Amino acid sequence: MFLSSDDAKAIAGNIIAKSAADACVVKIDGGEDYSLRFARGGATTNIATSEASVRISSHIGGRIGSATTGSLDAEALDAARARSEDIARMLPVDPDYVAPLGPQDYDASARYDDNAESLKLDALAAQAARVIEEGARRNVDTFGCASSARRFECLSTSNGLFAYERRSEIDLSATARNKADTWSGWAGAHEFFGARLDAEAIARRACEKAAHDVAPVDLEPGDYAVILEPAAVAELAFWVMSAMDARAADEGRSFYSRPGGGALVGEKLFDEKFTIRIDPADPLAPEGGVGWEGVPHRARAFIDKGVVTSLYRSRSWAQKTEAEPIPFARNFIVEGGDASLDDMIRSVKRGVLVTRIWYENIVEPKSLLLTGLTRDGNFLIENGRVTAPVRNMRFNQRLGELFGRIVALGKTERTWRAAGGGGAPAAPPMLAEKFHFSSKSSGI
Amino acid sequence: MAQRFAPLLDAPERSSAASGGPFALDRALLDDLADMALKTAKSAGASYADIRLGETTREYSYAKDQRLEHFDERSSRGFGLRVLLGGSWGFYGARRLDAASVREGVARALENARAVQPIQGRPIALEELPAHQAEWIMPMGEDPFAVSTGAKADLLLAICAAARDNGADFCSASLSLAREERLFANSFGARILQTRTRVHPSFTATAIDRAAGRMASRDSLTPARGAGWEYVTGAGLLEEAALAGRQAREKIAAKPVVSGETDVIIDPTNLWLTIHETVGHSTELDRVLGWEANFAGTSFVKPSMLDNLRFGSELMTIIADRSQPGALSTIGYDDDGAPADSAEFRIIDKGVFRNFQMALGQAHYIGLSSSNGCAYADSPTSFPIQRMPNISLAPNPEKCSLDELVGGIEYGIYVVGAGSWSIDQQRDNFQFGGQLFYEIKNGKLGDMLRDGAYQGRTIPFWNSLDGLGDASTYHLDGTFTCGKAEPVQVAPVSHGSPPARFRNVRVLNTSGGA
Repeated sequence: MFLSSDDAKAIAGNIIAKSAADACVVKIDGGEDYSLRFARGGATTNIATSEASVRISSHIGGRIGSATTGSLDAEALDAARARSEDIARMLPVDPDYVAPLGPQDYDASARYDDNAESLKLDALAAQAARVIEEGARRNVDTFGCASSARRFECLSTSNGLFAYERRSEIDLSATARNKADTWSGWAGAHEFFGARLDAEAIARRACEKAAHDVAPVDLEPGDYAVILEPAAVAELAFWVMSAMDARAADEGRSFYSRPGGGALVGEKLFDEKFTIRIDPADPLAPEGGVGWEGVPHRARAFIDKGVVTSLYRSRSWAQKTEAEPIPFARNFIVEGGDASLDDMIRSVKRGVLVTRIWYENIVEPKSLLLTGLTRDGNFLIENGRVTAPVRNMRFNQRLGELFGRIVALGKTERTWRAAGGGGAPAAPPMLAEKFHFSSKSSGI
Repeated sequence: MAQRFAPLLDAPERSSAASGGPFALDRALLDDLADMALKTAKSAGASYADIRLGETTREYSYAKDQRLEHFDERSSRGFGLRVLLGGSWGFYGARRLDAASVREGVARALENARAVQPIQGRPIALEELPAHQAEWIMPMGEDPFAVSTGAKADLLLAICAAARDNGADFCSASLSLAREERLFANSFGARILQTRTRVHPSFTATAIDRAAGRMASRDSLTPARGAGWEYVTGAGLLEEAALAGRQAREKIAAKPVVSGETDVIIDPTNLWLTIHETVGHSTELDRVLGWEANFAGTSFVKPSMLDNLRFGSELMTIIADRSQPGALSTIGYDDDGAPADSAEFRIIDKGVFRNFQMALGQAHYIGLSSSNGCAYADSPTSFPIQRMPNISLAPNPEKCSLDELVGGIEYGIYVVGAGSWSIDQQRDNFQFGGQLFYEIKNGKLGDMLRDGAYQGRTIPFWNSLDGLGDASTYHLDGTFTCGKAEPVQVAPVSHGSPPARFRNVRVLNTSGGA
């Protein structure tokens, strides 16, 4: 269920007006979602949903109790508010209690397409048809998912804060597999504005990558030069970002912990070509203006030319450490360079071009050792040319070392939504040395 | 606008815990809505329709060290209607339970089926299922939602204190509860009302050596279960937290695992996840058909391998079920309306691959006549897909203890508790960490080790199985959150096993060259 700002404000205002707590925070979110999947050139499952939920947090005597309901019925809202108050009264006093925010000044973020309401299943089926048609033309099987949504989030507090944001999303990803089932390719994109999604380009890229009849080459595990396409760079950078929690760093539990105590803010931990920043006003990957707990997102670098400049920090930890609260960001930008993908390929004597990575997981948090596998478009580069598909492999790679020896970066582009669930980062293709492949996989 | 704020239910929303009975929702209302939806869909030309209506209630609380940081109870009601029109599925779901919304849902689901027809390709075809009329209520002791908030907060803070009093520098503890109440009805005439509850107490104890810049953590080994509060209070969480504090401190100073091929004994607290990833997912028919190729992946297992793939050694028998007490996939009927006994089958029998897991409309692709009860939708507003029932490694019928397994190893490693995990999209190459690693020397358990993981390929790994504990060593583990599909759905599932011995497994030192 998609609510306007006025509707959301009215609901939140009614709840706060009835609150018996010292303070009250109301978060309402919801929207409409459409999604269809296809496999082997035909439709499989689809959904259209309409949902909204209201989370009420009651602050009583330095304790916070929350209750959430999926109903906008007045009686349900009253019950949830009363339940949140009951919970708060039964909890122990929070030694790091933080009162709700008052009014904030948020940066504008352009993430809503006024035409979003028209992006229903028939429009998504037309996008999917482009992929299916291209697959038929290239004689490969096609699989994929097209989805769209319009969503809103509202945050209101009894201390005078009211924030409302809305966003639209359209997303298309396609996997192509050759008829012999011995090779695959993938491409995907996520956009806030429907007109920016180029379904034909996605179809073409996925099918081109898959359209190889030669048997993939088996490489021996070891260290290789790699060219990581933007979707792979964004995935890897997500893990760098997700570890940037100030509390974990301060407590000695993180890659960003300083031996002996404290955090490594201000230290150069990566190659000077590595910069990660966020900006609600960025045209490519705008972060929302309203961050977690209602703290505003501001344009900022988390890593600037290899130096750690910011860590994200909850309001309670910020209060405890007398530092600035900084919300976690999912829509981030990895700064690019001026190398083209062709330039990078020409510069590699022997290496691997990686389209996409899969099933990553942190193995060792202190060294940011990440494992995962390549997937859907791995190619051998020999003497400056792509020469053959190469079978997928598992990597075990310390991310500090990977982003510490960047050879070249291409132009930053918007990527798919996959990175860590939610958000759509922007990242460039990247050439790096000594990427560690640990073992072979037969998975295609 | 006014319509949006109109009362959405004939009856006021109330928590399940407060209802006093196993079902919180008004049965007559659910039946009326289901009747209306199915009748309208059929009269509009749908060849099949089904609807799930219900409520999901969750509670999540989290403490870190001396602070209860989060306590949230959430409840949502809704429906999801699936229609088959002209060989295409159409689905619509909403978090509302009133006649107007369901009526609109029928129209939207039909509209969606028409919208995808231009790209349908091969029409969706279904087998007919028997039309069951049933109620099923999970047996449970004390309702966990009825336990006081204060008692839960006290438990979490006590867990943190126990770990920190015994060597941990930090401890976080959480408690997740979930209850599903759902009416399923379809145009074959089925009408099934069910409810089940699950609980998952968990914690992580962490020790730090600031001077050395090292840390070690030890997660709780207490599994999620389909159970009531009596499971939480009987799980020995405070004792386990104290032990975990000591083990985290010991682990930080332990010697690292030496990389190389070695024999391993994998405890059921770790092996459940390996079973889940290598056997559970590889034998899902929708993956084999390519329906998950774009995201969750396909499988190395093919239909031609039925009855002839040597998946593992003779000791390997993998059983699917929906009946193990306390297991997370235990239920009376799946989300297609198939009864639990249809999900009682062997996936692997003495090492040979025997059965795929299937949901409605899949069996005919491999020449079979009907589903085997493996459908689940993680919410009434989600499209039901093939998901795992409980999938477990049968214990050794011959008497065999953990000590006997250890006694058969000259040098090796014993792995306890699930750690980091990863597997390729066809379920071949895997890597699993653990919580605790112990050296085995000359047939005896020895020192604790740190920084270990094991890596392998599914078929060679399971064929290296050469020792298995008996029924007395069997342990049921599992997760609330197995992810699959687009949009992602999360499913609860349990996996039981005894400890098992595998020969010549590649073990990694994750602090060295992994």
